[in-house]
Amino acid sequence: MGQPTGWGRLKRMRWRLFARRLAILIASLLIASFVIFAALYLAPGNPVAALSGGRPLPPGSIHVLDQRYHLNEPFLTQYWYWLDNALHGNLGISIALRENVSTLIASRIWTTAGLVLYASVIIVVLGVGLGIVSGLRPGRLDTSTLVVTAVSAAIPAFVAAIALILLFAVKLRWFPALGNGTGLVSNIRHFTLPAVALAFASLAIVARVTRAAVRTESDREHVQTAVSRGIPDRYVIWRHIVRNAAIPITTITGITIASLIAVAAVVEVAFGLNGLGAYLVQAAQSKDIAVVQGISLVLVTAFVVVNLLVDVLYTVLDPRVALGGSPR
Amino acid sequence: MAVAVAVAFALVASACGRTASVAARTSPVRGLVVDTRAGTRRVTSVVWATNRDVISLDPIFALGYPEFTAESLMCESLLRQAPDGSLEPGLATVSSPSPTTMVFTLRPGVRFWDGHPVTSADVVYSLDRQISPALGGSYGWVFDRVASITATSQDQVTIKLNEPDYWLENELSSSAGVVIEKSFAEKQGKNYGTPAGGIMCTGAYMLKSWTPGVGVVAVRNPHYWNPSVHPLVGQITIKGVSSIAALTAGLETGAIQGDYPASQVSTLEQLEHSSAVRVYLGPGWTTDAFIVASLKGVLGSLDVRRALSLALNRQGIIDSVYQGAAQLPRWLSNAGTFGYGQSVFDQAYDSSPVLTQNIVQARKLVRQAGDTGKTLTIGTTSQLPVYAGDAGAYQAAAQAIGLKVVLRSVSAQDFIDFFTDPKFRAGVDGFPGLVFGDSADPASLLSQVVMPGGLQNFDGFSDPAITAALEQARSTANPDQRAALVSKAEKLSAQQLPWIPDVEPDTALVLSKGLTGPVASSAYLFAPWANQLGGAG
Repeated sequence: MGQPTGWGRLKRMRWRLFARRLAILIASLLIASFVIFAALYLAPGNPVAALSGGRPLPPGSIHVLDQRYHLNEPFLTQYWYWLDNALHGNLGISIALRENVSTLIASRIWTTAGLVLYASVIIVVLGVGLGIVSGLRPGRLDTSTLVVTAVSAAIPAFVAAIALILLFAVKLRWFPALGNGTGLVSNIRHFTLPAVALAFASLAIVARVTRAAVRTESDREHVQTAVSRGIPDRYVIWRHIVRNAAIPITTITGITIASLIAVAAVVEVAFGLNGLGAYLVQAAQSKDIAVVQGISLVLVTAFVVVNLLVDVLYTVLDPRVALGGSPR
Repeated sequence: MAVAVAVAFALVASACGRTASVAARTSPVRGLVVDTRAGTRRVTSVVWATNRDVISLDPIFALGYPEFTAESLMCESLLRQAPDGSLEPGLATVSSPSPTTMVFTLRPGVRFWDGHPVTSADVVYSLDRQISPALGGSYGWVFDRVASITATSQDQVTIKLNEPDYWLENELSSSAGVVIEKSFAEKQGKNYGTPAGGIMCTGAYMLKSWTPGVGVVAVRNPHYWNPSVHPLVGQITIKGVSSIAALTAGLETGAIQGDYPASQVSTLEQLEHSSAVRVYLGPGWTTDAFIVASLKGVLGSLDVRRALSLALNRQGIIDSVYQGAAQLPRWLSNAGTFGYGQSVFDQAYDSSPVLTQNIVQARKLVRQAGDTGKTLTIGTTSQLPVYAGDAGAYQAAAQAIGLKVVLRSVSAQDFIDFFTDPKFRAGVDGFPGLVFGDSADPASLLSQVVMPGGLQNFDGFSDPAITAALEQARSTANPDQRAALVSKAEKLSAQQLPWIPDVEPDTALVLSKGLTGPVASSAYLFAPWANQLGGAG
């Protein structure tokens, strides 16, 4: 074979790619941190209100706390305090909890990572699988897949969460209603309903896009030719249909999984999981700025990494795609 | 105790018009109870929910339901609030050799979790921390009549007052009077009361771990200083569950075994019918009020405040928002707060009119005042059902009497800013709030609202007659006379409406059917509530 394989090209281009991606990541982090800081600064309300727990604070206390957290200083000074510390590896401390942000993030990151991973597996296996099967086999299964996915795509995660809790936790008692659980088996039991709730709408979208891509490829000339030449079905399906449909499927799956990181917040609240998403929402609302910044950095990084993985996958799937470029 | 319980119960029952027999003391739902039958069996572990995560275990900052629930489980104050609201000795007994001197004598054998005895130095240190302006605690104002706090012997602390203050005992039975270990707190410095620093207290349950997002874990203190208390639960985890759906599902499936739902009562009716849990209703010290933020706008007119109060559908709030777990008000303070001078309070309360709806009269008041068509701006949040429900009821009431209504809706977290940030509440005439004082004394809340400079007197409300009655009450030693003065201030406030009382919520306790023993009144906020918690016989 004269043409290098995807993996071979990947090896040659990987240093340039990673350098470029790293630069993009750092730029994204800087811009995101500034924009988020500015938005929180401009939002009304005072971070120390969270310390009042819902009862009034004496003005003296508010003054002391404002000073402790530099809340009376100008915007750029406050941002500089944060950036300077962050560059030295110190993400600051939470105003509400007076605890290091890195500690707070570390204690939650695996919840969100596990939840998103679990949901991703469900989406890839069920979504892509269902899409391929219904794309290849028009008929009753295909029609019912279309109807079911049309409905489930419209169900937001929080509604799915409540329905799942009601049915599988409260009525049937198959799964626990809330909490993380301890130990692997217990973790999986506790994470099943949240992961399904999280995957529910996305799964439908991935299934529909996969089905459409598979259907388009099946109708293409070279596939018809291959079929008419009597090439075995299995070979036609994997080599000609799925392989070519893989690019749009990868795109939609990548976008979907990246967005799960954000949607996870809703599911974490509904199931009482101590994840990053729920914590981000809570911290943003109470303007616990160091926490918001810290979690945002993690999420932006995760988003960039997922996109990088998708790009790498493109080159593997289709040797004509240059790394870092966009597919056809 | 049984007598006190029966008295408090009879008082509340008569005040609320609910009928109940003494046997109903531990029966669920109908009839208020101050405590539940003591547990008899050991239990390995209990998960207890609060409406959000605990954010601080430092008594100088402990300010909301979750913090109070966790703190009162583990830490103890100089004096203690009994379930019926009366004061008992806590870590110390108190005497008053003169009207301006209070002497606290530590009870024999009191010691911290680490075995060190509690000394007068620990007490002085704990109180000084509360007062310290540099630490910015929330209770400094409580000590405004205090001249000095001195350790007068190894087990004795003397507080000298500038003028008599008979409210201080009550405050020292709450968060302001919690005693922490000096050497431990000094070592932890600013980390004291945080997840990293931990705490060192004296209670029957001691802090084992605190992981934000997971919960505060307390374990049985096998060496508790009071030999008559035998904690029965191996481990109690206090877990923040902000979603009411998750909370309800958790209670129904046994993932959560207990909860004082406070503002999370919208599924109470459903829980009452659950086979997994039992709902107890106890006297509450909380008032659900329409907090007047500004007297410069339309609420500056007493006629408008009265009209709004008259037009409010309070029974609707009780039925829909509280699922029945609240009472119609007569005063600003909840009748559950009558922790002393009970017969005096009871009589005064019974002779005060119940605040009920009369839209015709309300409309007339607004028309006479010439305020028809003016705008009422209400601060609210759609994320907390209680506040959303209250705001909706006020919107309906205001529109019924010819006012225009603007709702300023913010996030649940931002809602707190209405209380703490004058800039945030600028332009808002009022907002609903669940408010409570620090003890079973109506004056505890009322004084914050009506006294000039009071912590929750947001726009300089001042009524000389109310101020005089409360000032005098604070300096009056005799509990019955003090109750009479406070009653006078409450009656006047119910006419002047510095705030508009909406309803008086009961304390709801939702408990797994296998458990019994927690305190059922609002005393749980300030005094150990799980010392008798255990398996039901």
